[in-house]
Amino acid sequence: MQGYIEGDLMEAYHARREKYGKRKADVQFIIDVLLLFRPGIISSKKRYSLNSSYMIGSYFKTGWRNLLRSKLHSTLNIVGLTFGMVCFLLIALYVFDELTFDQYHVNAEKIYRVVEHKNVRGEATIIAAAGYKLAEESQHSIPEVESTTRMLRTGRANLVDPEHPVPFQETVTIADEHFLEIFDFPLLEGDRRTALKAPASIIINEELAMRIFNRTDVMGKSLQFSHLSFPLKITGILKAHPRNSSFNFSSVMSESSFYTADFFKETMASDWASNSFSVYALLRPHSNPDSVSGKMTRLVLSNYTPGDGTKLSYSLQPLKDLHLKSANIFDGARNSNVESIPQGNPLYITIFSFTALFVLLIAAINYTNLTTARASGRVKEIGVRKAIGAMRSNLIGQFLFESWLTTGIAFVLAIGVVHVVLFPFNQFAGKQLSLFSVNYHFWIYAMAAIVIIGFLSGSYSALLLSRLKPVSLLKGLKLTGDLSVRTGLVIFQFTISVVMIIGTLVLLLQVRYLNDTDLGFNKDLMVVIDVNTRTARSNFETIKDQISKVPSVKNVSVTSRVPGEWKTLRTVKVRNEGSTDDPGISYLFGADKDFMKTFEVTLLQGRNFREANDSSSIIVNETAARMLNITEPSGQTVEIAAVSRGGDFETLEVPFTPRVIGIVKDFHFQSLRDRIQPLILAYNNNPIHVIDYYSVRIAPVDIPGTLDKLKAIMVRNDVDDPFEYHFLDDQLALFYVEDARRQTLLGWAALATIFIACLGLFGLATYSTEQRVKEIGVRKVLGATVIGLVSLLSRDFLKLVLIANGIAFPIAWWATNRWLQEYAYHIEVSWWVFVLAGALAMGIALLTISYQAIKTARANPVNSLRSE
Amino acid sequence: MKKYQLGEFEEIVILTIGILNNRAYSVSIKDEIESRLSRTVSFGALHTALKRLEDKGYLKSFAGESTEERAGRPRQYFEITAMGKKAMQYAKETRDELWKAIPKTVWQANLSG
Repeated sequence: MQGYIEGDLMEAYHARREKYGKRKADVQFIIDVLLLFRPGIISSKKRYSLNSSYMIGSYFKTGWRNLLRSKLHSTLNIVGLTFGMVCFLLIALYVFDELTFDQYHVNAEKIYRVVEHKNVRGEATIIAAAGYKLAEESQHSIPEVESTTRMLRTGRANLVDPEHPVPFQETVTIADEHFLEIFDFPLLEGDRRTALKAPASIIINEELAMRIFNRTDVMGKSLQFSHLSFPLKITGILKAHPRNSSFNFSSVMSESSFYTADFFKETMASDWASNSFSVYALLRPHSNPDSVSGKMTRLVLSNYTPGDGTKLSYSLQPLKDLHLKSANIFDGARNSNVESIPQGNPLYITIFSFTALFVLLIAAINYTNLTTARASGRVKEIGVRKAIGAMRSNLIGQFLFESWLTTGIAFVLAIGVVHVVLFPFNQFAGKQLSLFSVNYHFWIYAMAAIVIIGFLSGSYSALLLSRLKPVSLLKGLKLTGDLSVRTGLVIFQFTISVVMIIGTLVLLLQVRYLNDTDLGFNKDLMVVIDVNTRTARSNFETIKDQISKVPSVKNVSVTSRVPGEWKTLRTVKVRNEGSTDDPGISYLFGADKDFMKTFEVTLLQGRNFREANDSSSIIVNETAARMLNITEPSGQTVEIAAVSRGGDFETLEVPFTPRVIGIVKDFHFQSLRDRIQPLILAYNNNPIHVIDYYSVRIAPVDIPGTLDKLKAIMVRNDVDDPFEYHFLDDQLALFYVEDARRQTLLGWAALATIFIACLGLFGLATYSTEQRVKEIGVRKVLGATVIGLVSLLSRDFLKLVLIANGIAFPIAWWATNRWLQEYAYHIEVSWWVFVLAGALAMGIALLTISYQAIKTARANPVNSLRSE
Repeated sequence: MKKYQLGEFEEIVILTIGILNNRAYSVSIKDEIESRLSRTVSFGALHTALKRLEDKGYLKSFAGESTEERAGRPRQYFEITAMGKKAMQYAKETRDELWKAIPKTVWQANLSG
């Protein structure tokens, strides 16, 4: 348009000049021009701008050439970003997996678990269990409830194929016919609508089928649980559970198998408020779970009257919260020898998410720093672009495009690297993560993150460089840049690195502490054998005797639980006989007279159990003794009136009133996360908890041979009892296996951050020494020493790392202390951890810088000064 | 309802373009208006009006020959589009209707006054 107007003006000028003469035409021309200053004409930038889609080709070409021209910087950039993205993707996959537990059911959003809240005179229990009738009636009388399903895990029993009777200890899981309608556990074979309908049906998963039958096409075959009188028919084959499933059952038998049993008919008709079943409800769309659970509470209370001082209510927990938000909900409706459903830890999810973001952020900062630092090399290019008419927006577009190009290359490389390292990563994280079968949401988030990172890393340099005036650029003015921003970013990078180093060190020390702490008993070379059958239990004297005769066995003991137990420990309410105080709560398990000798637990006072029937004697630990105000065991009688297997306390018909005969030194019978609780050791034939384990201390010679002999003994005594054993130290290590994993994961992330930060530092050091090459030359000519020059060049950067340390220490101190509160027994974070982390960061930074510094300082000054 | 918007000056410009038919570019339009209506027109006002009309879709432009007196800059010729013609028609009709709606007495009064 400007062209036309110019032409118009010229034409009119010519005409006027002919007519009125030059002077008048000149004046009129000026007036015309002035009158042209109108917003409608001037602000027509849009029309004049280039079609940006044509420019992308050009951006790509210049971006690519730019990458190739400065190979060192491009490599630093791409390697840094790739590294950051690999960490980010791996951690993101891990976190995503944790966050999407149980989400693969189509109705996941509408499935809720019924949770019972009970308060008996101030004693609150929250348990994920409910009664039979609650499940049965709420689907009829509460309109929002579409259907419900009941599940229970009654214990472990031998499952055998009658044709080839080899016993397999399996958890007995029972569910009603709606189970497969509400949940989408995929069936390889069988009809999900009818599989659990008929009595005496069982569905098993492919893995169990392979174990029992060595093949999976076993529909219609029969199986038998050792404790049941009737055989079960296989009506479905389940696919193996995905790793992100809270459910881990290997078989489910139909609830209807028991409908004709007398005990079932007697108890279930009035079972409104028991804890017998895990109940899951499928609500209709748009129902409010709170109002539904209120209706459930009213439904139960209108049919059942809780005891005096007991408050009872129900709530609904969304299925998706099962994994991460069940910390204080007891997983009910299971026998105490069935493990509870595995839990995730939301704290670590947060820590990991932040770590992933920080690593990525540090990589992005690298890019920003390197690009701005290097911009002086491109000053001429920018100047020329501006001079031939590039608008600021064009330049911003160009720089952003370049950063997206780099980010894109890094992303492709990162995908490749992740693909390669995913297998070992899965091995170590205990997951089945996959880049290509993951939910598409993951990719949406990941792509968004990459685009944002490309934008963030490119935007600062784009804004900074496009702002400059073309004239000063072409004159070759030195770019002063925004040093404050760059130094700020370096400080930020190193702050995060130092925090992560400290975090990793603390985690490392804590895990080592957990594994090395004196537990109060000896966990090494201890084989723990499960007792699974009645025969093995009643013959224990014989079996013990036979075991102790094996030459490589040092000691053997029978107990109902072992220290470091993974199954539920029983708790009892106990008080001194005749006392009217509220009873205290103590753990209890049975042990024989060899327990202390075998586990090397110290008896402080009193005596051990004796050979003769000592069933009315107990030994307490120090904590329990304090609770019961016992200073000297002298046969004081205590009263145990109620027992809990994890849920509610059940009052015993006849209170157990044993005498205290001894006090043992406190030992860590639970994980070190928990403070040592009161513990009562009852005699092996106590009325509360029967024996469940043989614990065998073996000599460190020919361990496989010893195990074979132990197995032979167990099999000889009971053919049906599969030989199930653990090494106690392995079992204890399982408590901390997640900690060890997290430690490794964080360690790698810390390594990655410091590595990426150093790449950036290296780039900056290269740049700044290049800038000062003349200055160094002059200094050298005037007599500066190499050491002096190196310290001159390094000083500025080390100052930044020092400042970063100063910021990082309090943050790390606060964060690690908060984390350590998770453990009842933990290390104190000592000063040397900080010093070590700081020194490490300094050392690595110094190494990085000094390479460039020494190279420059040693260079011959002639080379740098010759051209002047 | 503002179906077709046409300001007073815009209307004059588009009518002039119609008169010039094929020969309408800014200088000729300016000369034509100035000679017919004996009012001065600045290039600024004219270009603004032309641009607006073009944005509204009433005009379309094409580059013409460049002459020496224009220092090699091409002329920008304007042409009325179909929509532009409708807009002109509409403007005329609405005026006519308004004219018709004025009571005769107004004129008489004016004449007598």
